[in-house]
Amino acid sequence: MDTQTTKCQPAPGVHLDLSWLPPIGMIGLSVANFVYRLLTLGIYDFWARTEVRKRLWSAIRLDGEPLVYTGTGKELFLGFLIVFGVVLLPILFVSVAAILVFGPNSAAANLVQAAIYLGVVVLFGLGIYRAQRYRLLRTSWRGIRGSLEGRSMPYATTYFLTMLLIPVTLGWIIPWRTTKLQSMITNDARFGSEPFAFRGSSGPLYAPFAVLWFGVLALFFAASMISGIVIGTIQGALGPGGEPSEAIKQVYGLALLAVFALAYLFYLFMSAWYRARTINHFADCTFIDNARFNGRLTGAGLLWIDLTNLAILAAGSLIVMALAVAIGGLIVTIAGTIVPAGSLTPDEVTAYAATIAAPLLVVITVLSFTLLLPVTQARSMGYLINNLSLEGTLDVDKISQSTADPMATGEGLAQAFDVDAF
Amino acid sequence: MSMHSDLFHQRFEARFSDGRTAGSREIKVELTERGIAILQHEAGEPLIWPYGALATAEPLTDHAIDALVTCSYQPGATLFVQGPRFARALAKLAPQLTASAERWRSASPWLWGAVATVALSVIVWLADLSPARTIASMLPDKARAAMGRQVIASMSEGRSVCDDPSGKKALGKLTERLASATHADRPFTVVVLDWGLVNAFATPGENVVLTRGLLEAAEGPDEIAGVLAHEMGHGIELHPETGLVRAMGLAAATELLMGGSGGALGNIGIVLLQLSYSRDAEGQADDHAISILRQASVSSKGFAHFFERMSKRDGKASGGLGKGGLGGMLSSHPETGERLAKVLAAGGYDATPALTEADWSELKGICANTSPASEQSEPPDDKAQ
Repeated sequence: MDTQTTKCQPAPGVHLDLSWLPPIGMIGLSVANFVYRLLTLGIYDFWARTEVRKRLWSAIRLDGEPLVYTGTGKELFLGFLIVFGVVLLPILFVSVAAILVFGPNSAAANLVQAAIYLGVVVLFGLGIYRAQRYRLLRTSWRGIRGSLEGRSMPYATTYFLTMLLIPVTLGWIIPWRTTKLQSMITNDARFGSEPFAFRGSSGPLYAPFAVLWFGVLALFFAASMISGIVIGTIQGALGPGGEPSEAIKQVYGLALLAVFALAYLFYLFMSAWYRARTINHFADCTFIDNARFNGRLTGAGLLWIDLTNLAILAAGSLIVMALAVAIGGLIVTIAGTIVPAGSLTPDEVTAYAATIAAPLLVVITVLSFTLLLPVTQARSMGYLINNLSLEGTLDVDKISQSTADPMATGEGLAQAFDVDAF
Repeated sequence: MSMHSDLFHQRFEARFSDGRTAGSREIKVELTERGIAILQHEAGEPLIWPYGALATAEPLTDHAIDALVTCSYQPGATLFVQGPRFARALAKLAPQLTASAERWRSASPWLWGAVATVALSVIVWLADLSPARTIASMLPDKARAAMGRQVIASMSEGRSVCDDPSGKKALGKLTERLASATHADRPFTVVVLDWGLVNAFATPGENVVLTRGLLEAAEGPDEIAGVLAHEMGHGIELHPETGLVRAMGLAAATELLMGGSGGALGNIGIVLLQLSYSRDAEGQADDHAISILRQASVSSKGFAHFFERMSKRDGKASGGLGKGGLGGMLSSHPETGERLAKVLAAGGYDATPALTEADWSELKGICANTSPASEQSEPPDDKAQ
């Protein structure tokens, strides 16, 4: 209970229940988006992403009412075009020009390349902040918009400088860095007229981080030692100078593979556990009005979602590949009957088919993993929302529309930069 | 709308927010012929939201279990109606709000665009137009020369340039004799690399690279003259420039699709090494070679013999030659025989050896003296007009 309320008066505002209403028909949406993306040579992607966001936002319920995503595919597309023209093309041009002027692998060209990489890292922070701003501006509940009322440059600078410190501090700056970046975003965020506040420090993250850090170290030594023992045992059994047979070599390989796969699985679990601790800590530090978020994510829960999502994406990829092979076979068969006999040798037909099929196969392989991406995104977001709650009360009648003009912050050309094309 | 009359005048419980604050209140709504009627008070005129001005938080589907509706006439205000009945009725009265309608609306311009792009590509392909060739022909000479220098620099990395003075003099004579027979008023620069591979490359900006291996494999100056004339033919037709423009265009397109920082274009020499010319391009280079040799009064028999010998060798031990340059020229396509016949048939004019015996042996010894490629910042000065 805070000090503003007396015993006779209830706290102003209401408790808002945060819940997840699983979206239905995500597989159908995935397939429709995939087909449209293929037919439009990929450009539909911006609209596809927008429809997925609309569904996901709608599934998040606050007091039973959905969050609304008001962004459009056109905004994402224009944002991409601008970033492409203003950032990507100049980078491409400068790198090619540097190579042509100074020569490949010359010191000057490498210097230019290094400068470009550093610049891209600064742009990364800028991109994260601006994408966040775009998403908040395009998110509303009961018609009240979110916003991010700060400048992106301080965030980008912090992002860049603290990143340089990660190797210097052997990673120990990471908890402080992620907390700092999270607090910068949170403290700039608003829901209508109501600011969010981040109250907390990185302190509580250091114990879990130490467990992760020393755990990874211990894991590495354990894996090395166990593989050493495996090798030693086999060598010992063979006797000095004994040349291992092919079969024994295979056992070697499998044993080592098993040790490192197990170690990697342990690592995945530990990092998921740390990630869950971080998200919970950030939730607990995030306040709005008289309410505070509460996180109950677990490492096992996150790892389960990640691994099953991976399996779902792989299954989607297999389906696409199987279909592609079937359709490709059909086309070759039809082409074989259409091409007049004798005009091309079988070798040439194969060569032509390979020329056309090779780039297509690469594109289809890369794309195939995105077939069921919306399904996995819904699962990840569902897990997060199901394990978050909003405790305390919000005086909803006091919260008025954001003072940020939706036109000025949403539609103008300069603001198109804010669109998350990164 | 009369066909939907069964949907009208049913009342639904709803929550309405005016968009000024985050508060909301319970109200009743009705679907009417004119739009959604919002009954703000039991008495009094309802507020009408016309179907054409509506938007929903997510496109309406058959699975919808509720609907959040907004209206462009009243920005910020939201109407939230639970239960699938309202959502399904609304999908019938405002079909533009369904998922399939929204998808088709945003995708159809791009679908037509994709159809047009594919059609245009097919036309360009069928009409044998080459945008890369057009761009290549618009490149200023300085840019082509710079490209050539970079290609030679990256090809010769870790290798030496052969520059024995008397050998270079002999090479200069041969280059001069062939270049002056090209019709095109272009200066050609020829460089020999200390490289055992049997190969020759045309590079941008009228540059040709020969290898020590090629000089060693040749049985006389006419053979080298033939290869050189063939590569000059590629140069005159701007094949290396066209190939690089195409590769750069592809790389840029890849960057566009995948996102990147231009690293793919790093080593243009490697790009050129991996290029292979089409049969048409090889045919054009052959035609130029035949014409250059005739103009320069050099017999085309040497070229034909070298061609024949190398394609036999290539057939026996495939992989001896790279994909670019001679590799493409000598690849074991079924029409190799045809091309050979064409070169042989071009004979029948008075010819003198491409170089004197003395000059030929000087040329074969050009790699007696070498210098690291990096010292050759400028192309050798045996420019021949």
